[in-house]
Amino acid sequence: MSDLSPLDAVADPKLGRVLRMALDRPHDGAFVARVRARLVRADRGWDEVLAGWFWQGLAAASLVAAFAAGWAVMSTGATAGEVQESMAVQLLDGQSPGSDLLLTSLAGNR
Amino acid sequence: MTGVDETELAARAAEGSEEAFGELVAIHAPMARRVAYTILEDQEDADDAAQDGFLSAWQAIGRYDARRAFRPWLMQIVVNAARDLRRRRRVRAAEPLDHVAAAARDNPAGEVGALDLGEKLRAALATLPERQRLAVVLFDAEGYPQAEIAKMLGIPEGTVKSDVFHGRRALRKVLESVKEEWDE
Repeated sequence: MSDLSPLDAVADPKLGRVLRMALDRPHDGAFVARVRARLVRADRGWDEVLAGWFWQGLAAASLVAAFAAGWAVMSTGATAGEVQESMAVQLLDGQSPGSDLLLTSLAGNR
Repeated sequence: MTGVDETELAARAAEGSEEAFGELVAIHAPMARRVAYTILEDQEDADDAAQDGFLSAWQAIGRYDARRAFRPWLMQIVVNAARDLRRRRRVRAAEPLDHVAAAARDNPAGEVGALDLGEKLRAALATLPERQRLAVVLFDAEGYPQAEIAKMLGIPEGTVKSDVFHGRRALRKVLESVKEEWDE
């Protein structure tokens, strides 16, 4: 062990090595198997699963909206400005399902 | 295992992949068991606490922020689980302590002489207050920065520095009897 001052912020690798050796517990494999078996029974609630998917879902919704806008331009011959105006009206009237989420996402991308 | 792999595993686990979380368990089980043992000083209790920690992490992984490192997030949950278990154990009738810790508390200088290096170190650790034990183990053995340990334990960084210093000094005193092994 090296001499250390109270302000020393460098770990002591020698002390660390012997501490790990002293604290290591046997049968890691059995422990991991036991925890894995318990994971099945400790399934996460639906709210936790949804929380994990939230941002991916929002990104996907934004992509779908972008594709829809592109498709509208191609198929109707409308100008990009007209399509944007039409989408903005629909989003701002608050009646379209999920419009508040899309607005949040679009604002977040700026 | 690189940090990138771990981040990817944590992201997959957050999407509900039990397999990915199982891999994270396998990676971090040794460290979680060491840290839980540092707090509880009993192997069975340490395994119960480490398991509780992993299960709590699995149930809360939807709230894990993937921009931050996974390891400190997990280890904070394990530390909390071990401390919770220790509180529950205190409420129950006193149970026999791990024999090494008990021996060290009764007679630190005399008892450790007959034990091997690992047992001497555990005995020396058992003479320290819990916060000092954790600070030394998290800093020197597990490689956490002092600022991270401070956040994990909810104490100022200066207190961590002081705990590491005093913990090391106490360990050195007890280990003077095995200096030749120590210097090898």
